[in-house]
Amino acid sequence: MQVSRAAGPPFAGPPGSGPAPSSAIRAPQGPPPGARPFPGSPPPPSQPSPPFARPGAPLQQQSPPQFGGPPPAMASQPQRPGFGGLPSGPPPQVQRAPFGGPPSGVSPQAPPFGGPPAAVASRSAPLSGPPAAASYQPAPPAAVPQRSPFGGPPAAASAQPPPIGGGPFTAAQAPPFGGPPGSVPQTAPTGGLRPFGGPSAPSQQVQFGAPPPFGGPSAVQPGAQPPPFGASQSQAPPFMGPAGGNVPPSFAPPMWQGQGAVPGGMQPSMRMPVMPGGMPPNALGQGMSHASTPTMPYSPHAQVSTPSKIDPNQIPRPVQETSVIIFETRQGGQAAIPPAASSEFIVKDTGNCNPRLMRCTMNQIPCTGDLLTTSGMPLALLVQPFALPHPSEEPIQLVDFGEMGPIRCSRCKAYINPFMKFIDQGKHFICNLCGFSNDTPREYFCHLGPDGRRRDADERPELCRGSVEFVATKEFLVRDPMPAVYFFLIDVSMNAVNTGATAAACSAISQALSDLPEGPRTMVGIGTFDSAIHFYSLRRAQQQPLMLIVPDIQDVYTPLQTDLILPISECHENLEQLLESIPVMFENNRIADSAFGAAMKASFLAMKSTGGKLLVFQSVLPSVGIGSLSAREAEGRSNTSTGDKEAHKLLQPVDKTLKTMAQEFAEYQVCVDVFLSTQSYVDIASISVVPNTTGGRVYYYYPFSALSDPAKLYNDLRWNISRPQGFEAVMRVRCSQGLQVQDYFGNFCKRVPTDIDLPVIDSDKAIMVTFKHDDKLQENSECAFQCALLYTTVFGQRRIRVINLSLSCTNMLSSLFRYADLETQFTYVVKQAANGIPSLPLSQVRDQVTSTCINILQSYRKYCASVSSSGQLILPEALKLLPLYTLALTKSVGLRNDGRLDDRSYWVSIVSSVSVLLAIPLVFPRMIALHDLTSRDDDDSLVPSPLTLNSENIHDDGIYLLENGEDGFIYVGNSVNPLTLEQIFGVSSLAGLPNQLVLEPFDNELSRKVNEVVNEIRRQRCSYLRLRLCKKGDPSGDFFRSLLVEDKAPGGLSYVEFLVHVHRQIQSKMT
Amino acid sequence: MSAADPSAAAPAAAADPDGPDAVRLTWNAWPRSKVEASRCVVPLAATVSPARVPDRSTAAPPPLPYLPLRCKPPCSALLNPFARVDFAAKIWICPLCFSRNHFPPHYAAISESNVPAELFPQCSTVEYIVGGAPGAAGAPPPPVFLFVIDTCVIEEELEYVKMAMRKAVALLPEHALVGLVTFGTQVHLHELGFSDLSKIYVFRGTKEISKEQILDQLGLTGAGRSGFPKIPQQPGGPQVNGMHPAATAGVNRFLLPVSECECTLSTLLDELQSDQWPVEAGNRAMRCTGVALSVAAGLLGACMPGTGARIIALLGGPCTEGPGMIVSKDLSEPVRSHKDLDKDAAPHFQKAVKFYDGLAKQLVSQGHVLDVFASALDQVGLAEMKVAIERTGGLVVLSESFGHSVFKDSFKRIFEGGEQSLGLSFNGTIEINCSKDIKVQGIIGPCTSLEKKGAVCADTVVGQGNTTAWKMCGLDRNTSLTVFFDVSPSERSSQPGHQNPHLYIQFVTSYQHPEGQMRIRVTTICRKWVDGSTNTEELVEGFDQETAAVVLARYISLKMEMEEEFDATRWLDRSLIRLCSRFGDYRKDDPSSFSLHSNFSLFPQFMFNLRRSQFVQVFNNSPDETAYFRMLLNRESVTNSVAMIQPSLISFSFDSPPSPVFLDVASIAADRILLLDAYFSVVIFHGMTIAQWRNMGYQNQPEHEQFAQLLQSPHEEAQMIIKGRFPVPRLVVCDQHGSQARFLLAKLNPSATYNSAHDVAPGSDIIFTDDVSFQVFCEHLQRLAVQS
Repeated sequence: MQVSRAAGPPFAGPPGSGPAPSSAIRAPQGPPPGARPFPGSPPPPSQPSPPFARPGAPLQQQSPPQFGGPPPAMASQPQRPGFGGLPSGPPPQVQRAPFGGPPSGVSPQAPPFGGPPAAVASRSAPLSGPPAAASYQPAPPAAVPQRSPFGGPPAAASAQPPPIGGGPFTAAQAPPFGGPPGSVPQTAPTGGLRPFGGPSAPSQQVQFGAPPPFGGPSAVQPGAQPPPFGASQSQAPPFMGPAGGNVPPSFAPPMWQGQGAVPGGMQPSMRMPVMPGGMPPNALGQGMSHASTPTMPYSPHAQVSTPSKIDPNQIPRPVQETSVIIFETRQGGQAAIPPAASSEFIVKDTGNCNPRLMRCTMNQIPCTGDLLTTSGMPLALLVQPFALPHPSEEPIQLVDFGEMGPIRCSRCKAYINPFMKFIDQGKHFICNLCGFSNDTPREYFCHLGPDGRRRDADERPELCRGSVEFVATKEFLVRDPMPAVYFFLIDVSMNAVNTGATAAACSAISQALSDLPEGPRTMVGIGTFDSAIHFYSLRRAQQQPLMLIVPDIQDVYTPLQTDLILPISECHENLEQLLESIPVMFENNRIADSAFGAAMKASFLAMKSTGGKLLVFQSVLPSVGIGSLSAREAEGRSNTSTGDKEAHKLLQPVDKTLKTMAQEFAEYQVCVDVFLSTQSYVDIASISVVPNTTGGRVYYYYPFSALSDPAKLYNDLRWNISRPQGFEAVMRVRCSQGLQVQDYFGNFCKRVPTDIDLPVIDSDKAIMVTFKHDDKLQENSECAFQCALLYTTVFGQRRIRVINLSLSCTNMLSSLFRYADLETQFTYVVKQAANGIPSLPLSQVRDQVTSTCINILQSYRKYCASVSSSGQLILPEALKLLPLYTLALTKSVGLRNDGRLDDRSYWVSIVSSVSVLLAIPLVFPRMIALHDLTSRDDDDSLVPSPLTLNSENIHDDGIYLLENGEDGFIYVGNSVNPLTLEQIFGVSSLAGLPNQLVLEPFDNELSRKVNEVVNEIRRQRCSYLRLRLCKKGDPSGDFFRSLLVEDKAPGGLSYVEFLVHVHRQIQSKMT
Repeated sequence: MSAADPSAAAPAAAADPDGPDAVRLTWNAWPRSKVEASRCVVPLAATVSPARVPDRSTAAPPPLPYLPLRCKPPCSALLNPFARVDFAAKIWICPLCFSRNHFPPHYAAISESNVPAELFPQCSTVEYIVGGAPGAAGAPPPPVFLFVIDTCVIEEELEYVKMAMRKAVALLPEHALVGLVTFGTQVHLHELGFSDLSKIYVFRGTKEISKEQILDQLGLTGAGRSGFPKIPQQPGGPQVNGMHPAATAGVNRFLLPVSECECTLSTLLDELQSDQWPVEAGNRAMRCTGVALSVAAGLLGACMPGTGARIIALLGGPCTEGPGMIVSKDLSEPVRSHKDLDKDAAPHFQKAVKFYDGLAKQLVSQGHVLDVFASALDQVGLAEMKVAIERTGGLVVLSESFGHSVFKDSFKRIFEGGEQSLGLSFNGTIEINCSKDIKVQGIIGPCTSLEKKGAVCADTVVGQGNTTAWKMCGLDRNTSLTVFFDVSPSERSSQPGHQNPHLYIQFVTSYQHPEGQMRIRVTTICRKWVDGSTNTEELVEGFDQETAAVVLARYISLKMEMEEEFDATRWLDRSLIRLCSRFGDYRKDDPSSFSLHSNFSLFPQFMFNLRRSQFVQVFNNSPDETAYFRMLLNRESVTNSVAMIQPSLISFSFDSPPSPVFLDVASIAADRILLLDAYFSVVIFHGMTIAQWRNMGYQNQPEHEQFAQLLQSPHEEAQMIIKGRFPVPRLVVCDQHGSQARFLLAKLNPSATYNSAHDVAPGSDIIFTDDVSFQVFCEHLQRLAVQS
C-alpha cells in the first residue's frame, strides 16, 4: 500500500478536525499565515501535485526514512524550544499537535516527538541548555508565535488543511501525498493514516499496561493519556539544537515503540507492498508474465548498454521514494517482500516481524547450499532488535505467561510463534524450527478452528505477531534484574583540559543527567583520570564530595565498594556541582599522561556487582597504566620498509590486553562507550575493541573543537542514554533445520558458539547473522528464523523479545535474484569488508568487494539473463545499484588509500554495528544543494532530493551539503553570492568563513531552511551530524570532492568506468 | 642469707641513681682479662640514657654553643675533663688513646684560670648545640606527626579515637606538620592541602608496595608525574632545610602546619567513618596495617628525609591482609600464641617480621619513628612490629580499648609540653669510644646499628653489634640503652708497667632536640681496672645489683627471642649459682655458712622474681604482650625496669606510716591497704576489714576522717606513680578476695599456699599455686652455691 508522502507523517490535525478535509482548515492554533517559510509556494492543499509519483508504476524513491513519522525537523527559529516543546518553550498555543493529536494541553509536556523534556539549547553556549534555559533566549519576535514546536513550518499548518497530513513535512509546497493521485482517492491517505496518528487511538498507546519499557524522561503513567505517538514514552530526542545554541532541536527520533496504530484503520487504503525498485514483484525475473508493464527505461532487468554506449544519464541510480508505504508482513499466507529499508513505511505485523527488527539478504531462501553458492549472494540476517518503529506502528506486545513461562519447543527451545503448527485438535504442536512434536501444556490448550488454526490465534499476540515480548520467569534470572547504572569517566589530563574536552564532557553529562531513566533504580557514578584515577563519593550526608584517588594504574582496584555509585535521586545536585567544579579543579593540571585502560578497569571494578554503562570521555592516546598504547601511527610511518604490506597491522589491536579486559567487562554486564574528543592519533584500532566487545560504540570527534563539537558531544550522549535499550542481554538466533547459524557479527561478546552476550543493546545496534546450509530445505516449505533476546529493561524488568521471520524456500535461482534485498546484501558486503580491513591489505579488500559484486552479477547474467545480447550489461532489477554501491564502498573512508589510520579504524568500528538503514549512506552519502533551498518549488519533502554524486553537480556559485549519517560536509563554491553567505553563515565573504562551523540560525528564510534541512537529516539519522566546512581550493574542498563517488578519482574509477570494468569482468568470465 | 630488706632499695631509688651522667654499669670495677670477666657471670655492661634530663637539683651545665674538639682519627674521642691538658703548649692528651692534640686557634686563650666548660670535672656530661645558632641558615625544622588510624573498629572505638585525635591536634604546636592516613581494607592517604574537596589517595591493602611505587603514585618523584592540580605553591609555606622541590610539593599536599589544616582535619575527623568495606560473617575485618605503614613511611621518606618525624599508628586489631598480615581473615583461625611460635605453627609470623624488618630499615635510613598505640582485646601484631618500633626508637602502648585511660592518657602525654613533656627527640646517633682493651659487643635497646665498623667492635655480638655507631630515630628522656662490653687486652697492654689504672668510656650522642636544634651530648666516664683474679673485693664493691638484674633480664629476653629451645629458667638458675659461688662467703658444702655482701643481697630476690616474671614465663601472655613488655624493659631506666622485674609493695595502715613491705603474700593483712607498683599496673588492694569499713561508708563520717585519709593516701601515691610514667600504667583498685585481687596475688611470693594453709596468720591470705616460694628457692640456692 502506498500512501502519499504527505499523508505519511502522521500529523493529525487537532483532535477536532476529524477526517481530513481537503480544504484548508486551519488548525485552531495555527500560526498566522505570514509565518510561512516558503512564501509563494504553498501548494494548494487540495491539489496535490505529486512531483515524483510515477503514474502507473509508482516508483518508490529512496526517501529519507521516517521512523517515527515525526514531523521532520522543524524550524530554524532560534527560540524554538526543542522538540519537546517544553513548557517553558514557545507559548503552547502555537503548537500544533504534531500527530494530531493530543489535546493541546498535553502537548507542551509530552512532546509528541518524544520531545525531550529538555529544551534545547537556548544558551549561547554551544550546548543546549537544560529545559529551564530554553526560554531565556530572546526570541525574534516574528518567529515566536508561529513556530509550532513540532510541526512543520507554520505556513504548512495553516495552509495545509489536512489535519492529518498536514505534515510539516511537506510543508510548504508539497502536496499532501506523493502517491499517484489517480490511484488513491484523495481522502484515502488521510483516512488510512488517521488511525495511526489520530487522537482516536489513545487507548492503544499504553503499552502493555506497564510502564513503558524504555520510557522517556516524561515517564507518563500507563494510565495516562499519552500523546498519540507515544510521545510520553518516547525518548527525548537526543539531538538538540545545533551548536549555535539557540536553534531548536533538530530532530527527535521518534518513539522507538510506535503506538497508537489501529490496525483496522488502515484497511481502506491498504495497498500492495511495493518492491523497492518500484516494480511489481512479478515484473522481475525471466519467464514470468508481467501483470503490469513497468514503465521503466529498462526492463525486465536493468540494462546498461555496452561500455562504449553507456549513457551516464541512463545508468542506475537510487531514486528517492517520497511516499509512505504501508506494509503487511504476511499476505495470503506468504511472507510479503519488505520495502526498502531506506523508504518510509509503516508495518503491520501479520506474522512476520517488522523488517526494521530483522531482515534477510534474500526474501526467499535457497533450498540448497549449492544454489546459494551459485548465486554468489550472501545469506544473512540483519537483526536490530530495538530498532525504532514508525510512530504509527503497533507496539510490540508483552505477553505474560505467569509462572509457566513462555511456551517453548521442548527440543530446540524455540519460543512459541505464529508458525508453530497445532495438531490433534490442538493437543500437540509442531515446532517450525526443528519439527519436533510437543505436547500442548494443559493451561495453554485451545481448540482448533475449521481453518486448522487455534481459535484464539488472533487474540494471542504470540500466535499472530512476528514480534512479541514475553515476561521472563525465574528460570531466566541468574540474579535480580540489574539496576540502570551509568558511570561517567572523564579524562582530565593536561591536553583534555586545555582543549576544552573535559569541560565539554562535564557540561554534556550535567545536562544529560535529567535524561536518565527516572526511578530509584537509576544509579550514577563518576570518575576522572589522568595518570591516576579519581573516584568521587557523593554521599548525601557529606558536605562536599570525597575524592578518592587510585594511584596504582598497573594493578587497579576500586577504592570503595559502596558510595561510588548512588541512585541519581540522592546525588543529582552534588553531581551537578561536582561536574561544574571538575574543569576548574583541574585547570592547572600539568599531567599529560592518561591512564585510560586502568581507569576503565577501576571503574569496572566499582560497577562489577551490578553491571551497567560505562561512558568514557577520552582525549589523548592512553599513555600509562594497564592497556596503555603507543603512537603506532608514527612508528608505522617512519618504518616504511615494511610498507603497505604490513600497514593493515596498525588497524589491528596492538595486543590482547584490552580485549581480555573487555571480555571481563562483558561477563559482568558492563558496556563501554568511548567518546574520543581528540586532536591527535589515539589508536582507535586498539581502543575500539572495548566498546565493540561490550555492546557499546566509539564516538569520535576529530579534530576536537571546543567551539563546534560540544553540541554534538552532548547530543550523542543524550541519545546514548535515552534511546531505547536493554541491559544484560543474551541473544540467540535459531533457524529451521537445513540451515545453521554460521556466525554473528556486531558489538557483543561471544563466549559460547550459540549465544551472544550484550551488556547493553540499543536501538542503533544491529547484529548480522550469517547462515549456511547443513541440509536441504523443502521447496514450498518455509524456512523460519527466530531471534530471541533476553534482556532487562531500564526499569528492571526481565523480558524476552522474540522476533520471527518465516520465508519461502525456493529452488529457482531467478527467484533468489528477484527477491534479493539489495540494501541488506550490501550491508553484508560492507560489514565483510570492514571485517577484512584489519587483516588484509586494502587493495585486497577492495578486490574482494568488487569481485563479490561481479560474481553476483555474473551468476545472474549466466543463469538468468543468458538470452540477452552479450554486449549488454544486464543487472538484476533488485540489485541494479550493486555496482554503484560497490564502487562507493571502494572509495569509502574505510577502503580508500589516503585516510588516516584512526579514521579508518573508526569507520571499521562503526560498521561493525551499523544498521541497514545507516550502512548505505555511510558509504553512499547524500548530497543536496543548500543555496537554492528557498527557490525550489517542486518538492514535497523537507530535504530536497539528492544530487547525483558527481562533480558536474557542483557549481562554483553553490553551497552543498553532503552527509553520510555521521558527518555533514558543507561545500562552499568560490563564487557564491555574498548574500547567500550572509544569510546562511552570517559572514559577508568567503574569507570570513570560519574553519570550525557552528551553524547558527539567522533570521532569514534561507537560514531557516538550511537549519530545517540539517535538523531533519539529524533526525533521520539518529545522529547529530558533525558539520564541517569545505572550501573550494582548500584541502577540505578536495576532500569533499573525493566523496563524490561517481567521479573518477586518482585511485578509483568513475561510475561509468566501473560499469565498464564490471561488464568486462563478467564477459571474460562468461567466455 | 635472708630475703633482702625491701626498704633497702627505697633510698637508692630516691636519690638519682643514674647520677649526672645517666650511666650505670653492672660492674664499676673491671677485671682486666677475658677469663676474669667471664668469671664475673654478670656481663660487663652499661645502661645509658642519652637524652636524660638530669633532675633539676643537679645543676646541669648549660649547653655549649660551639663545636666540640675531637681527637685525631681513628680515635675521634671528644675533648673531656679526663684529658690531660698542657696549657703552655696548648696541647691536650686524649685519655682514651693517649694521642696529643693541639688546641685550635680559637682555644688560644686557654689557661689554668681560663678553662673551657668541657674541661670542668663536673662536666663529664656536656651538651653542645650545633646548628640553629644565630646566623645559621633556616629555622629549626618543625616536628612532624603522621597519624595512621585504623578504621576497622566499631563506631564507639572510632569515636574515642576521634576524641583523642582532637585533643592531640589541639595540643600540637602551631607549626607542627601533620599528615593523616586512615586504613581498613584499603589505605587512605588524605591530601590535606587540597581545599576544593576531601581528596584521598587510596592504596590497596593486599599488595606490598615499594617506596618508589608510592612516590611515583603520589607524584612525588619529581620527574614525570609532576604537576598536580591546584597545589598552592606558596613560597611562604613550610620550607624545610634541604628539601628538594618534590618534597616541598609533598609537604604542601600531605603534611601541613597545624595552623593551616586544623579546619580540614576537624572536618575529616567528623566525617571519618568505620571502614566501609563489608565484613563477611565468620570473618575478621580486612585490615591492611602493613600497607598503611608502608605508605606512611614512603610519604615521610619523600617529604621529610633526614628530618625528625613520627608515624603514630593507632591500631584496633590484627593485620589480616597484605604484607604484615598476622592472621587470616577467617575467624576460625586463631591469632598465633607463644605455643604456635614455639612449634613453628604461625604461618604468617616470619613473613610479617621480615616485612617489618624491611620497614624498620627504611624508617631508620630516613630517620623516622614508628609509634604504635594498640588498643584492642585481640592481638594486633606487636610481636611482629616490635622490630620496627624498637629499631626506630618508637613509643608503644598496649591497651584494651581506645576508651581506656591507658591509651587516652598516654596518647595525650606525647603531645604535652613543659614539665610533663616526654622530651621527644629525633634523629639521634650514638657513638661509643673506649679505652684500648675494651670492645663493644653491642646494644640492647631502641636503636639500630649503623654498621660502622671500628676497632672497638668485639667479635661476639649482643643485640645491635658490629658497629661503633647506632641510630636512634626517636629517643626521649627515658630512653635507655644497654651496652655490652668485652675485655680483650692486647699483647702490649698486658705488659706490666704500661698499665693505666683507669678505663674510659665515652658516649657521644647527637640528636635533634625537642626544640629543634641539633645537639651533641658527650658523656665520658672513668672507672677502675682491677688487677689479678684474687681481688674479688674490689669487684664486689663495684657491683650494681639493680643494673645487673636489669641487664640480665634484657639479656635473657634477647636470648629467648634469638635462640630456639633456650631454657631461660635454667640459665638464670645456673648463672645465679655461679655468681653466688664466686662472690658468696661460705664454707664449702655447708649451706648454712652462706652469706652475701650487701651489694649482692637483693640479687637472688631479683632473680627469683625475674624467673616468675612475664619476661621469662611468657606462656601466660600473648606474643603481643610479651613483645610489649620486652620493648619497655629494653628502653626504660634501670629503676623502672627493676619495678617491672620486682614490683614494689607499700603498706598503708593506721599503725605506721606508709612503708615498703615484702613482696610476699604474708604482707596481706585485713587492716592494711597495699599499693603494688608492677610498672605496667598499679594495684591498690584493700584488706578485708578496710574494705568492709569502706563499704559501710565510715570514710564519709566526720569522726572517721583518719580513715578517709587512709583510704585516700594510696590513691595519691598511685597518681604520683602514674603521672611520671609513660605508658600510663593501668590502675587496679581491688579488695581482698575480690576477683581483681589476682593482679596483686600473681606478683607475691607464695610463702603461704594451699599446701601451707595451716600456719597462715588470720586475716592473711594464701595463694593457690604450686610455685616454690622464695624461701625454698633460697634454700636450694645456698645448697648448690656451696657445692664444690
